[in-house]
Amino acid sequence: MPEATGGTIPIGAWELALATGFVFLAGALSLWMGVKLERDLAVATVRTYLQLFALGFVLRWVFVNQTWPIVLALLGVMVIAAARVVLKRAGNAPPGVFLSAVGSMALTGFTVTFAVTALIIRVPVWYEARYVLPIAGMVIGNSMTGIALAVERLFADLDSRSAEVLGLTALGATVWEAAHPSIRTALRAGMMPTINSMAAAGIVFIPGMMTGQILAGADPVEASKYQIVVMLMIAAATSIGAIAAVLLMYRRRFTAEGVYLEKGYREPVS
Amino acid sequence: MSQTPPLLEARGLRVLRPGDEGAVTVLDAVDLSLPAGTLAEVTGPSGAGKTTLLLALGRLLPGAEGALLLAGRPADEYEPQTWRTLVALLPQRPALVPGTIAENLRLPWSLKAREGDQPPADDALREALDGVALGDVALDRDVSRLSVGQASRIALLRVTLTRPRVLLLDEPDASLDDASAAEVARITAAFVGSGGSIVRVSHVRTDAAASVRYRLADGQLTLVGPSTSGAAESSRLAATTGLAVTPEAADAVTRASSSKVPGAAIIDAATDLPEVPDA
Repeated sequence: MPEATGGTIPIGAWELALATGFVFLAGALSLWMGVKLERDLAVATVRTYLQLFALGFVLRWVFVNQTWPIVLALLGVMVIAAARVVLKRAGNAPPGVFLSAVGSMALTGFTVTFAVTALIIRVPVWYEARYVLPIAGMVIGNSMTGIALAVERLFADLDSRSAEVLGLTALGATVWEAAHPSIRTALRAGMMPTINSMAAAGIVFIPGMMTGQILAGADPVEASKYQIVVMLMIAAATSIGAIAAVLLMYRRRFTAEGVYLEKGYREPVS
Repeated sequence: MSQTPPLLEARGLRVLRPGDEGAVTVLDAVDLSLPAGTLAEVTGPSGAGKTTLLLALGRLLPGAEGALLLAGRPADEYEPQTWRTLVALLPQRPALVPGTIAENLRLPWSLKAREGDQPPADDALREALDGVALGDVALDRDVSRLSVGQASRIALLRVTLTRPRVLLLDEPDASLDDASAAEVARITAAFVGSGGSIVRVSHVRTDAAASVRYRLADGQLTLVGPSTSGAAESSRLAATTGLAVTPEAADAVTRASSSKVPGAAIIDAATDLPEVPDA
């Protein structure tokens, strides 16, 4: 385990074991009540260990050996992984939208991350991994959730409005005009969790990053400034990402002649 | 001069639908020729493809094959959106958007396809509603408070007010009581009487005013019989509803706005039927 740095109280093997013990307790309860969650809990616990340790070692290595190609490559991996999660969660999206998902994740991930590191935090080296990677992680992770919600809602809403979409198209509406109410609904759905969490931050809960900084010994006011930057940046990233994804994808549910593809006319999803 | 081409013509319409065991032929080389001022009624068993036929004619069906012509001009000379404003489909489930009746009636003019056209004023909408026995319904009433019959008539009124050349009606009175169905018949008769054409699909009622009847079964559209009384009937209805069929009279009616049915707009469209705007 790493040595204590700054104001951090180090966590050793014993502390980790104790935390794991709580999970065992939860697993025992699940077994006793017949909820059948113990297997999932065990797998999730093992994954948490493996993934976060791996992340820790990778980051430690990258912080020491950072070069811009390595940092950009890691960002690329994060973007592609996030795009895959988006399409998995939005299972109703038409085929062929993977590149759109990657494109919107990349657009929001890269622009917002580097805008924050270069213009607000003003890191001395633009690819400074200690700043770029955690911020990119928050930007990409949060906008991923927003994008997935927006994309899922877009295609669900189009399906539920399919009679109205046909009616509008029959009156001469373009694809944009017929899809517009669903696009609006989708963007609201994608943005709502972010807006809600901004409204509740500091009153209902202490945001994650601020918690982390306070636990690491930072001054709470300094931590709150960082958290404000992060929350605003997440709001921006979620909006940009959701708008880009929805605009890149909505046409795919329509033919070139602007007709909505009802369920019977779609290519089978592989 | 050459003969006036039919208002709407379909040649070799062919539609395949993916089925559980390979593609199913829904329409098999269907031909249809519709002169101006015709009310064509298409009947046939449930699932025979009546709705499919209307969707194909309205260029609203993915994967439909065949040639469509409007007033002699092939469909690909029109933008799809323009085609749909001229050959207008009213789906069976009339989809009104959330909002008031006035908002719904003016919705077509909020679309790019009618950019620059003036939406009808409140007076014209009021008059149109009075003409279809909706005189007791306020323009600012929310459409969620309409009955099925009222909503159907609003949707039909909306599409006729946009002055299409051809109306494609999918079971326009299937869920209506006899009184509402009679109002629908009045609107359609007025539309045909003023020179527009209608393809009307039904399996519940037949329209006495139909001037030609087809039956659709096994992918084939068969002429069952022209009804000579139909044309006379629609003229008679047009006359009794205050609609005139000559251009001069139509202009007079339009100017005076004295029509008690939403016919003023329709007549105006009918007078210049063979002309179509550039695609």
